[in-house]
Amino acid sequence: MSGATAPEVTGELRDILVRATGREELGGIGDQTPLFGDGVGLDSLTGTLLLREVHRRFGVDVAGEDLNLDALSTLATLAAFIAERTT
Amino acid sequence: MIVKCVIWDLDNTLLSGVYLESPDRPPAADPAMLAAASTLRDRGIIHAVASRNPPEAAAYAARITGLDFAAAECGWGRKSDAVRRIVADLDIAADAVAFVDDDLFERAEVSFAVPEALVLSPEDMADAVAWPEFSPGPVTAEARRRGEMYAQRRLRLQEARSFAGSRDEFLRYCGTEVTIEPATAADVPRLHELSVRTRQFNTTGQAVPEAELRELVASPAHQVTTVRLRDRFGDDGLVGGSVVSRGAGRDWTVTLLMMSCRAMGRGVIEALLAWLARSADRSGATTLSVPCLVSPRNMPLRLALAGSGFRAAESGPPDRPVAVFGRPVSGSPPELPGWVMASGAG
Repeated sequence: MSGATAPEVTGELRDILVRATGREELGGIGDQTPLFGDGVGLDSLTGTLLLREVHRRFGVDVAGEDLNLDALSTLATLAAFIAERTT
Repeated sequence: MIVKCVIWDLDNTLLSGVYLESPDRPPAADPAMLAAASTLRDRGIIHAVASRNPPEAAAYAARITGLDFAAAECGWGRKSDAVRRIVADLDIAADAVAFVDDDLFERAEVSFAVPEALVLSPEDMADAVAWPEFSPGPVTAEARRRGEMYAQRRLRLQEARSFAGSRDEFLRYCGTEVTIEPATAADVPRLHELSVRTRQFNTTGQAVPEAELRELVASPAHQVTTVRLRDRFGDDGLVGGSVVSRGAGRDWTVTLLMMSCRAMGRGVIEALLAWLARSADRSGATTLSVPCLVSPRNMPLRLALAGSGFRAAESGPPDRPVAVFGRPVSGSPPELPGWVMASGAG
Protein backbone atom coordinates (compact mmCIF):
# COMPACT_ATOMS: atom_id res chain seq x y z
CA MET A 1 0.00 0.00 0.00
CA SER A 2 1.59 3.28 -1.00
CA GLY A 3 0.51 6.86 -0.59
CA ALA A 4 -1.82 6.13 2.32
CA THR A 5 -2.31 9.02 4.69
CA ALA A 6 -2.11 8.58 8.45
CA PRO A 7 -5.91 8.98 8.94
CA GLU A 8 -6.60 6.29 6.32
CA VAL A 9 -4.09 4.00 7.97
CA THR A 10 -5.65 4.69 11.39
CA GLY A 11 -9.06 3.56 10.17
CA GLU A 12 -7.64 0.35 8.85
CA LEU A 13 -5.64 -0.23 12.03
CA ARG A 14 -8.82 0.03 14.07
CA ASP A 15 -10.32 -2.82 12.01
CA ILE A 16 -7.15 -4.87 12.44
CA LEU A 17 -7.23 -4.25 16.21
CA VAL A 18 -10.84 -5.44 16.41
CA ARG A 19 -9.93 -8.64 14.58
CA ALA A 20 -6.75 -9.24 16.62
CA THR A 21 -8.57 -8.86 19.93
CA GLY A 22 -11.99 -10.16 18.92
CA ARG A 23 -13.51 -7.12 20.67
CA GLU A 24 -15.96 -5.13 18.56
CA GLU A 25 -16.08 -2.22 21.02
CA LEU A 26 -12.44 -1.36 20.26
CA GLY A 27 -13.65 -0.15 16.85
CA GLY A 28 -14.67 3.02 18.69
CA ILE A 29 -11.41 3.90 20.46
CA GLY A 30 -9.72 7.25 19.87
CA ASP A 31 -6.42 7.81 18.06
CA GLN A 32 -4.76 8.81 21.33
CA THR A 33 -6.01 5.93 23.52
CA PRO A 34 -3.02 4.03 25.00
CA LEU A 35 -2.85 0.52 23.54
CA PHE A 36 -0.94 -0.93 26.50
CA GLY A 37 -2.40 -0.89 30.00
CA ASP A 38 -6.00 -0.37 31.03
CA GLY A 39 -8.62 0.01 28.35
CA VAL A 40 -7.26 -1.73 25.27
CA GLY A 41 -4.88 -3.92 27.29
CA LEU A 42 -2.77 -5.05 24.37
CA ASP A 43 -0.77 -8.10 25.46
CA SER A 44 1.76 -10.42 23.91
CA LEU A 45 -0.92 -12.48 22.13
CA THR A 46 -3.08 -9.70 20.71
CA GLY A 47 0.01 -7.56 20.06
CA THR A 48 1.62 -10.33 18.03
CA LEU A 49 -1.52 -10.82 15.95
CA LEU A 50 -1.77 -7.06 15.39
CA LEU A 51 1.87 -6.70 14.28
CA ARG A 52 1.69 -9.73 12.00
CA GLU A 53 -1.39 -8.32 10.29
CA VAL A 54 0.28 -4.88 9.99
CA HIS A 55 3.26 -6.58 8.35
CA ARG A 56 1.03 -8.52 5.97
CA ARG A 57 -1.17 -5.54 5.09
CA PHE A 58 1.36 -2.68 4.91
CA GLY A 59 4.68 -4.50 4.55
CA VAL A 60 6.06 -2.71 7.61
CA ASP A 61 8.01 -4.78 10.13
CA VAL A 62 7.39 -2.75 13.28
CA ALA A 63 9.10 -5.21 15.63
CA GLY A 64 12.17 -5.38 13.40
CA GLU A 65 12.64 -1.59 13.35
CA ASP A 66 11.44 -0.51 16.77
CA LEU A 67 13.20 -2.29 19.64
CA ASN A 68 11.04 -0.73 22.37
CA LEU A 69 7.85 -0.94 20.32
CA ASP A 70 7.15 2.74 20.97
CA ALA A 71 5.13 2.77 17.76
CA LEU A 72 2.50 0.77 19.65
CA SER A 73 1.72 3.61 22.08
CA THR A 74 -1.50 4.61 20.34
CA LEU A 75 -3.24 4.10 16.99
CA ALA A 76 -1.93 7.55 15.99
CA THR A 77 1.73 6.66 16.66
CA LEU A 78 1.37 3.35 14.88
CA ALA A 79 -0.33 4.99 11.87
CA ALA A 80 2.43 7.63 11.69
CA PHE A 81 5.11 4.93 11.86
CA ILE A 82 3.47 3.06 8.97
CA ALA A 83 2.70 6.16 6.89
CA GLU A 84 6.34 7.29 7.09
CA ARG A 85 7.43 4.01 5.58
CA THR A 86 4.79 3.57 2.88
CA THR A 87 4.71 7.01 1.28
CA MET B 1 -12.14 -37.72 17.57
CA ILE B 2 -9.17 -39.68 16.22
CA VAL B 3 -6.68 -37.81 14.04
CA LYS B 4 -6.14 -39.48 10.66
CA CYS B 5 -3.78 -36.98 9.08
CA VAL B 6 -1.14 -34.59 10.43
CA ILE B 7 -0.45 -31.52 8.28
CA TRP B 8 3.04 -30.20 8.88
CA ASP B 9 4.61 -26.81 8.44
CA LEU B 10 8.25 -27.26 7.36
CA ASP B 11 10.37 -24.26 8.47
CA ASN B 12 11.33 -24.57 12.14
CA THR B 13 8.74 -27.29 12.58
CA LEU B 14 9.41 -30.52 10.69
CA LEU B 15 12.77 -29.04 9.64
CA SER B 16 15.20 -27.69 12.20
CA GLY B 17 15.65 -24.41 10.31
CA VAL B 18 14.41 -22.36 7.38
CA TYR B 19 14.60 -24.14 4.01
CA LEU B 20 15.21 -21.09 1.81
CA GLU B 21 17.83 -19.56 4.09
CA SER B 22 20.45 -22.13 3.19
CA PRO B 23 19.81 -23.38 -0.37
CA ASP B 24 23.16 -25.18 -0.56
CA ARG B 25 22.72 -26.98 2.70
CA PRO B 26 19.04 -27.14 3.69
CA PRO B 27 18.27 -27.83 7.37
CA ALA B 28 18.06 -31.34 8.80
CA ALA B 29 14.84 -32.79 10.15
CA ASP B 30 13.88 -31.66 13.64
CA PRO B 31 14.63 -34.76 15.74
CA ALA B 32 11.66 -34.40 18.11
CA MET B 33 9.17 -33.80 15.30
CA LEU B 34 10.59 -36.59 13.17
CA ALA B 35 10.30 -38.99 16.12
CA ALA B 36 6.67 -37.93 16.64
CA ALA B 37 5.86 -38.25 12.93
CA SER B 38 7.47 -41.70 12.68
CA THR B 39 5.56 -42.94 15.73
CA LEU B 40 2.29 -41.70 14.27
CA ARG B 41 3.06 -43.24 10.86
CA ASP B 42 3.53 -46.60 12.57
CA ARG B 43 0.02 -46.16 14.03
CA GLY B 44 -1.41 -45.71 10.56
CA ILE B 45 -1.73 -41.92 10.68
CA ILE B 46 -0.88 -40.23 7.36
CA HIS B 47 1.15 -37.06 6.85
CA ALA B 48 0.83 -33.98 4.65
CA VAL B 49 2.68 -30.67 4.23
CA ALA B 50 1.47 -27.06 4.18
CA SER B 51 4.45 -24.77 3.79
CA ARG B 52 5.43 -21.30 2.61
CA ASN B 53 8.10 -22.70 0.34
CA PRO B 54 8.59 -23.87 -3.25
CA PRO B 55 7.38 -27.44 -3.96
CA GLU B 56 10.91 -28.83 -3.88
CA ALA B 57 10.95 -28.15 -0.12
CA ALA B 58 8.30 -30.84 0.39
CA ALA B 59 10.21 -33.27 -1.83
CA TYR B 60 13.36 -32.51 0.17
CA ALA B 61 11.53 -33.06 3.48
CA ALA B 62 10.11 -36.37 2.23
CA ARG B 63 13.58 -37.52 1.22
CA ILE B 64 15.34 -36.70 4.50
CA THR B 65 12.55 -37.84 6.82
CA GLY B 66 11.55 -40.96 4.90
CA LEU B 67 7.92 -39.91 5.36
CA ASP B 68 5.39 -40.34 2.57
CA PHE B 69 3.34 -37.18 2.23
CA ALA B 70 -0.20 -37.94 1.10
CA ALA B 71 -0.53 -34.30 0.01
CA ALA B 72 1.77 -31.29 -0.16
CA GLU B 73 0.59 -27.69 -0.44
CA CYS B 74 3.52 -25.36 -1.00
CA GLY B 75 2.97 -21.69 -1.74
CA TRP B 76 2.41 -18.29 -0.25
CA GLY B 77 -1.36 -18.26 0.29
CA ARG B 78 -3.24 -18.68 3.54
CA LYS B 79 -2.42 -21.78 5.54
CA SER B 80 -6.11 -22.34 6.22
CA ASP B 81 -6.74 -22.59 2.45
CA ALA B 82 -3.94 -25.14 2.19
CA VAL B 83 -5.49 -27.15 5.03
CA ARG B 84 -8.92 -27.03 3.35
CA ARG B 85 -7.46 -28.21 0.04
CA ILE B 86 -5.66 -31.11 1.72
CA VAL B 87 -8.87 -32.12 3.54
CA ALA B 88 -10.74 -32.07 0.21
CA ASP B 89 -7.97 -33.91 -1.70
CA LEU B 90 -7.73 -36.68 0.84
CA ASP B 91 -11.48 -36.79 1.38
CA ILE B 92 -11.22 -36.75 5.16
CA ALA B 93 -13.18 -34.74 7.71
CA ALA B 94 -11.65 -31.47 8.93
CA ASP B 95 -11.94 -32.71 12.51
CA ALA B 96 -9.72 -35.67 11.64
CA VAL B 97 -6.70 -33.51 10.88
CA ALA B 98 -4.05 -31.96 13.10
CA PHE B 99 -2.07 -28.93 11.91
CA VAL B 100 1.41 -28.34 13.37
CA ASP B 101 3.17 -24.99 12.95
CA ASP B 102 5.76 -23.09 15.02
CA ASP B 103 4.28 -19.75 13.99
CA LEU B 104 1.67 -18.35 16.34
CA PHE B 105 0.03 -16.29 13.63
CA GLU B 106 -0.41 -19.26 11.30
CA ARG B 107 -1.88 -21.29 14.14
CA ALA B 108 -4.33 -18.51 15.00
CA GLU B 109 -5.32 -18.15 11.35
CA VAL B 110 -5.98 -21.89 10.90
CA SER B 111 -7.78 -22.14 14.29
CA PHE B 112 -10.05 -19.33 13.24
CA ALA B 113 -10.77 -20.48 9.68
CA VAL B 114 -10.84 -24.26 10.31
CA PRO B 115 -12.13 -24.51 13.90
CA GLU B 116 -12.65 -28.29 13.60
CA ALA B 117 -8.93 -28.97 13.13
CA LEU B 118 -6.61 -29.75 16.03
CA VAL B 119 -4.03 -26.92 15.88
CA LEU B 120 -0.74 -27.58 17.65
CA SER B 121 2.63 -25.96 18.26
CA PRO B 122 5.70 -28.23 17.91
CA GLU B 123 5.85 -28.19 21.73
CA ASP B 124 2.29 -29.55 21.84
CA MET B 125 3.03 -32.11 19.13
CA ALA B 126 5.88 -33.67 21.09
CA ASP B 127 3.36 -34.35 23.87
CA ALA B 128 0.42 -35.14 21.66
CA VAL B 129 1.66 -38.48 20.34
CA ALA B 130 0.43 -39.88 23.66
CA TRP B 131 -2.95 -38.11 23.61
CA PRO B 132 -6.11 -40.15 22.99
CA GLU B 133 -6.66 -38.24 19.69
CA PHE B 134 -3.52 -39.85 18.27
CA SER B 135 -3.75 -43.22 19.99
CA PRO B 136 -6.07 -45.85 18.63
CA GLY B 137 -5.09 -48.19 21.51
CA PRO B 138 -5.03 -47.77 25.30
CA VAL B 139 -3.55 -44.51 26.61
CA THR B 140 -1.87 -43.66 29.90
CA ALA B 141 -3.55 -41.53 32.56
CA GLU B 142 -0.99 -38.74 32.05
CA ALA B 143 -1.58 -38.71 28.29
CA ARG B 144 -5.30 -38.58 28.87
CA ARG B 145 -4.81 -35.62 31.24
CA ARG B 146 -2.80 -33.73 28.61
CA GLY B 147 -5.35 -34.46 25.93
CA GLU B 148 -8.02 -33.10 28.26
CA MET B 149 -5.93 -29.98 28.81
CA TYR B 150 -6.04 -29.33 25.09
CA ALA B 151 -9.82 -29.80 25.06
CA GLN B 152 -10.06 -27.31 27.94
CA ARG B 153 -8.00 -24.83 25.95
CA ARG B 154 -10.36 -25.11 23.00
CA LEU B 155 -13.34 -24.52 25.27
CA ARG B 156 -11.65 -21.47 26.82
CA LEU B 157 -10.91 -20.12 23.34
CA GLN B 158 -14.52 -20.55 22.26
CA GLU B 159 -15.72 -18.72 25.37
CA ALA B 160 -13.21 -15.93 24.76
CA ARG B 161 -14.61 -15.39 21.27
CA SER B 162 -18.12 -14.83 22.52
CA PHE B 163 -17.12 -12.91 25.67
CA ALA B 164 -17.89 -9.20 25.62
CA GLY B 165 -15.46 -7.39 27.87
CA SER B 166 -11.81 -6.66 28.47
CA ARG B 167 -9.10 -9.25 28.76
CA ASP B 168 -8.86 -8.68 32.52
CA GLU B 169 -12.59 -9.21 32.87
CA PHE B 170 -12.31 -12.44 30.89
CA LEU B 171 -9.44 -13.71 33.05
CA ARG B 172 -11.53 -12.98 36.15
CA TYR B 173 -14.56 -14.67 34.59
CA CYS B 174 -12.44 -17.77 33.95
CA GLY B 175 -11.40 -17.89 37.61
CA THR B 176 -7.75 -17.52 36.61
CA GLU B 177 -5.23 -18.29 39.36
CA VAL B 178 -1.55 -17.50 38.84
CA THR B 179 0.65 -18.82 41.66
CA ILE B 180 4.19 -17.48 42.00
CA GLU B 181 6.53 -19.30 44.38
CA PRO B 182 10.22 -19.99 45.04
CA ALA B 183 11.37 -23.04 43.06
CA THR B 184 12.31 -26.23 44.88
CA ALA B 185 14.46 -29.14 43.76
CA ALA B 186 11.27 -30.95 42.73
CA ASP B 187 10.59 -28.28 40.08
CA VAL B 188 13.97 -28.72 38.37
CA PRO B 189 12.95 -31.30 35.71
CA ARG B 190 10.01 -29.19 34.53
CA LEU B 191 12.08 -25.98 34.58
CA HIS B 192 14.70 -27.74 32.47
CA GLU B 193 12.00 -28.89 30.05
CA LEU B 194 10.69 -25.32 29.77
CA SER B 195 14.21 -24.03 29.05
CA VAL B 196 14.49 -26.52 26.18
CA ARG B 197 11.04 -26.04 24.70
CA THR B 198 10.11 -22.38 25.11
CA ARG B 199 10.98 -20.13 22.22
CA GLN B 200 8.51 -17.27 22.01
CA PHE B 201 8.88 -16.49 25.70
CA ASN B 202 12.53 -17.07 26.49
CA THR B 203 15.12 -14.36 27.09
CA THR B 204 18.20 -16.47 26.35
CA GLY B 205 17.14 -19.16 23.88
CA GLN B 206 19.51 -21.58 25.60
CA ALA B 207 18.68 -24.81 27.38
CA VAL B 208 19.74 -24.91 31.04
CA PRO B 209 20.97 -28.33 32.25
CA GLU B 210 19.26 -29.81 35.30
CA ALA B 211 22.49 -29.76 37.31
CA GLU B 212 22.87 -26.03 36.75
CA LEU B 213 19.25 -25.41 37.74
CA ARG B 214 19.73 -27.42 40.94
CA GLU B 215 22.73 -25.25 41.85
CA LEU B 216 20.76 -22.06 41.12
CA VAL B 217 17.84 -23.23 43.29
CA ALA B 218 20.26 -23.84 46.18
CA SER B 219 22.30 -20.65 45.65
CA PRO B 220 21.66 -17.78 48.09
CA ALA B 221 22.81 -15.27 45.45
CA HIS B 222 20.02 -16.36 43.10
CA GLN B 223 16.27 -16.43 43.23
CA VAL B 224 14.59 -19.11 41.12
CA THR B 225 10.85 -18.68 40.80
CA THR B 226 8.07 -20.87 39.43
CA VAL B 227 4.73 -19.80 38.01
CA ARG B 228 1.70 -22.08 37.97
CA LEU B 229 -1.56 -21.44 36.17
CA ARG B 230 -5.08 -22.78 36.53
CA ASP B 231 -8.64 -21.68 35.96
CA ARG B 232 -12.08 -23.25 35.97
CA PHE B 233 -11.41 -24.89 32.61
CA GLY B 234 -8.36 -26.73 33.85
CA ASP B 235 -4.98 -26.84 35.53
CA ASP B 236 -1.96 -26.10 33.34
CA GLY B 237 0.54 -26.68 36.13
CA LEU B 238 4.02 -25.15 36.01
CA VAL B 239 4.04 -22.87 32.94
CA GLY B 240 6.88 -20.45 33.61
CA GLY B 241 9.88 -19.48 35.63
CA SER B 242 12.60 -16.95 36.20
CA VAL B 243 16.14 -16.82 37.53
CA VAL B 244 17.35 -13.63 39.19
CA SER B 245 20.94 -12.85 40.02
CA ARG B 246 20.73 -10.68 43.12
CA GLY B 247 24.41 -9.82 43.17
CA ALA B 248 25.67 -7.28 45.67
CA GLY B 249 24.50 -4.08 44.00
CA ARG B 250 21.18 -2.32 43.76
CA ASP B 251 20.36 -3.88 40.42
CA TRP B 252 18.48 -7.12 40.09
CA THR B 253 19.24 -8.95 36.86
CA VAL B 254 16.81 -11.48 35.46
CA THR B 255 19.22 -13.91 33.82
CA LEU B 256 16.43 -16.15 32.56
CA LEU B 257 12.75 -15.53 31.98
CA MET B 258 10.64 -18.17 30.28
CA MET B 259 7.03 -19.17 29.83
CA SER B 260 5.20 -21.87 27.90
CA CYS B 261 3.32 -20.49 24.90
CA ARG B 262 0.24 -22.36 26.12
CA ALA B 263 -0.03 -19.69 28.85
CA MET B 264 0.07 -16.87 26.31
CA GLY B 265 -2.69 -14.27 26.50
CA ARG B 266 -3.60 -15.26 30.05
CA GLY B 267 -1.81 -12.56 32.00
CA VAL B 268 0.97 -14.84 33.24
CA ILE B 269 4.11 -13.14 31.93
CA GLU B 270 2.75 -9.73 32.96
CA ALA B 271 2.02 -11.07 36.47
CA LEU B 272 5.54 -12.47 36.74
CA LEU B 273 7.15 -9.19 35.58
CA ALA B 274 5.06 -7.19 38.07
CA TRP B 275 5.91 -9.64 40.85
CA LEU B 276 9.64 -9.44 40.04
CA ALA B 277 9.52 -5.63 40.23
CA ARG B 278 7.77 -5.75 43.61
CA SER B 279 10.13 -8.41 44.88
CA ALA B 280 13.19 -6.37 43.80
CA ASP B 281 11.73 -3.26 45.44
CA ARG B 282 11.21 -5.04 48.77
CA SER B 283 14.77 -6.31 48.70
CA GLY B 284 16.11 -2.79 48.33
CA ALA B 285 17.05 -2.97 44.65
CA THR B 286 16.42 0.13 42.56
CA THR B 287 16.42 -1.29 39.05
CA LEU B 288 15.32 -4.53 37.48
CA SER B 289 17.19 -5.52 34.31
CA VAL B 290 16.18 -8.17 31.81
CA PRO B 291 18.89 -8.95 29.23
CA CYS B 292 17.05 -10.39 26.27
CA LEU B 293 18.23 -11.93 23.02
CA VAL B 294 16.37 -9.98 20.34
CA SER B 295 14.99 -12.23 17.62
CA PRO B 296 11.82 -12.30 15.50
CA ARG B 297 10.93 -15.46 17.34
CA ASN B 298 10.68 -14.03 20.83
CA MET B 299 8.96 -10.82 19.74
CA PRO B 300 5.91 -11.71 21.93
CA LEU B 301 8.25 -11.43 24.94
CA ARG B 302 9.26 -7.90 23.87
CA LEU B 303 5.57 -7.00 23.70
CA ALA B 304 5.12 -8.20 27.27
CA LEU B 305 8.19 -6.21 28.40
CA ALA B 306 7.01 -3.05 26.63
CA GLY B 307 3.52 -3.49 28.07
CA SER B 308 5.00 -3.84 31.56
CA GLY B 309 6.96 -0.59 31.39
CA PHE B 310 10.39 -1.99 30.48
CA ARG B 311 12.66 -0.17 28.04
CA ALA B 312 15.81 -1.38 26.34
CA ALA B 313 18.99 0.43 27.23
CA GLU B 314 21.49 -1.05 24.84
CA SER B 315 21.90 -3.66 22.20
CA GLY B 316 24.69 -6.11 21.49
CA PRO B 317 26.53 -7.01 18.27
CA PRO B 318 24.39 -7.89 15.22
CA ASP B 319 25.39 -11.56 15.34
CA ARG B 320 24.07 -11.87 18.88
CA PRO B 321 21.82 -8.91 19.53
CA VAL B 322 21.11 -8.76 23.23
CA ALA B 323 19.18 -5.78 24.51
CA VAL B 324 19.01 -5.01 28.21
CA PHE B 325 15.44 -4.12 29.12
CA GLY B 326 15.05 -2.37 32.41
CA ARG B 327 12.71 -0.46 34.66
CA PRO B 328 13.13 1.42 37.91
CA VAL B 329 11.44 -0.38 40.80
CA SER B 330 11.75 1.87 43.82
CA GLY B 331 8.85 3.96 44.97
CA SER B 332 5.88 2.75 43.03
CA PRO B 333 5.98 -0.97 42.34
CA PRO B 334 3.24 -2.17 39.98
CA GLU B 335 0.06 -3.59 41.47
CA LEU B 336 -0.47 -7.33 41.19
CA PRO B 337 -3.77 -8.32 39.56
CA GLY B 338 -6.26 -9.84 41.99
CA TRP B 339 -5.85 -13.34 40.57
CA VAL B 340 -2.15 -13.59 41.42
CA MET B 341 -1.27 -15.60 44.50
CA ALA B 342 2.28 -14.96 45.54
CA SER B 343 4.35 -16.19 48.42
CA GLY B 344 7.07 -14.11 50.05
CA ALA B 345 8.06 -10.79 48.59
CA GLY B 346 5.06 -10.37 46.30
